[in-house]
Amino acid sequence: MDHRVSSGLGQACLQGLLREWFDFERQLGRVPIIQRLERGRFTRDDYLTLLLNLRQQVIEGARWITRGASSFDRDFADVRSEVIGHAQEEHRDYETLEKDYVAAGGELEAIRTGQRNAGSEALHAFMMYRASQPNPVDLIGAMWIIEGLGQKMATDWARCIDDVTQGDGSYTRFMRYHGENDEAHLNKLYALIDRVCQREADATAILRTARVVGRLYALQLEEVEHG
Amino acid sequence: MSVYITSSGHFLPGEPVDNERIEVVLGQVHGKRSRLKRRILQSNGILQRHYAIDAEHNTLYSNSEMAARAGRACLEQGYISPSRLDMLSVATSQGDLVLPGFGSMVQAELGLADIELHSAHGICSSSMMALKAAYTACLVGEHRNALVVASELASRLFKASRYEAAGESVDFNAEFLRWMLSDGAGALLLETRPRDVCFRIDWIRGISHADAYPVCMSVGNPSDPRDNRTWQDFPTYAEAEAAGALLIRQDVRLLDNIVKLGVDGLLRLMDEKRVDVRQIDHVLCHYSSHYFRGRIFDMLTQAGAAIPEEKWYTNLYSRGNTGCASMFIMLDEFRRTRDYQVGDTLLCMVPESGRFNNVYMHLTVVEE
Repeated sequence: MDHRVSSGLGQACLQGLLREWFDFERQLGRVPIIQRLERGRFTRDDYLTLLLNLRQQVIEGARWITRGASSFDRDFADVRSEVIGHAQEEHRDYETLEKDYVAAGGELEAIRTGQRNAGSEALHAFMMYRASQPNPVDLIGAMWIIEGLGQKMATDWARCIDDVTQGDGSYTRFMRYHGENDEAHLNKLYALIDRVCQREADATAILRTARVVGRLYALQLEEVEHG
Repeated sequence: MSVYITSSGHFLPGEPVDNERIEVVLGQVHGKRSRLKRRILQSNGILQRHYAIDAEHNTLYSNSEMAARAGRACLEQGYISPSRLDMLSVATSQGDLVLPGFGSMVQAELGLADIELHSAHGICSSSMMALKAAYTACLVGEHRNALVVASELASRLFKASRYEAAGESVDFNAEFLRWMLSDGAGALLLETRPRDVCFRIDWIRGISHADAYPVCMSVGNPSDPRDNRTWQDFPTYAEAEAAGALLIRQDVRLLDNIVKLGVDGLLRLMDEKRVDVRQIDHVLCHYSSHYFRGRIFDMLTQAGAAIPEEKWYTNLYSRGNTGCASMFIMLDEFRRTRDYQVGDTLLCMVPESGRFNNVYMHLTVVEE
């Protein structure tokens, strides 16, 4: 594996991002619904609840990415292009998620009328706020956590969910498909880290946003129990 | 006050056993050759190991006997008379007796009078916990010296008869470690003064993640994952054994976390300015399997924290994976056989998969 990030600041930022990611993974390991999944005590109902809660954030996800794209000025036109491309690819992911929900035995109406839980509200509000700032380079930190999670869903969760609920893969397509593309997305992120980490303050902002997004994402999953 | 590793020793029972002979010693389960053996050995890269049992499954050396032999080998190369030892700190995954603590048995075997005793319990990282207890006791001036011994006799768990007692089929997770772990013991002598060319302990730091991850390596859970009982909850030990609750298991799905957490810990120590990877001259990492070595390299490279391959030392392939004894056996062979200079630094890492405890140690080569 080659060095994917070459500048000194970029590498320091990447090291920080890796640590934020590992910390986020540990937070996930403490969330009750994820613990049930890892211990094989996870039911089809748990899965439906999980999808119902995730959907409300996934559907809003495309909005903060597009909002963020519009906040980059002419000096960041190349970054804006990347972010637009990313939004284009993902902004209808929620449709796959809804199909999985129905395939797993849920009612389409229920997921469409579902409310954001307290964690989703906080995550959405924070993302829209950050995306509205001029040249929000720290969104790279948010994308880092969310793309990493996409890979984790594909490699760990989807198979685990099918195993414990005796599924055949027909209702875990959102999670599986998400991971296939996220490898390419992550490679683009590495390039972006080099591009946007020009000052110490950029790296600090990226790491801070990664940390907040990780915490709020975990909160969203904790709140699944209280939906 | 500084604490130094002034001597070391090891004991590996019997002649080395190559990959062809493993099943001759451990036995074929239900008389059939294992279909997994080749694949697992290819992945872990181990070429030979030692067993304290023979092909008739007689135990040739008890665990405490191996520990004592390693301890004696260490003392014979050092400057301290056994009667002047202040502390004995000992680790194993499983003693010969369930109770008392393994340390008591090793003390008796070594014939050490009036010492302060410590037994650490765990899996691979237990030796580092025993080492840290001895290190801190010396560091605060409580003791002038300590003998630290780690010993493992895993092969008794791998007898074919054990698997046969647990039913018709052996699941992958229960067989995985059969081709991985073997027996041996290692010992280190700590003193609050240097001797000749020796290793100064700069720091030892453990970071445990049991709160965030499920159990990954265990003895005591039955084969059926839906059965919540542990081995002593069964009416009889015979029933526990029949349910597979006495087999050693590795949940291989979770193993990748060991790489991430190992790298995470290193990045954390870099952040705390405890270590600068560019200044490290030698890396001794207890990776259980060759496969993980590559994964650790990749991830460190990706993080821009790579340590060049020629700085990594291991004797895993020739001495086997001896669990908690591995790091001491590695350090002993390194100390006696490798080229190093005064001023060189060593980074030792023991990432344990039991429930994810990682211990790191930094040493500097010094001269008296």
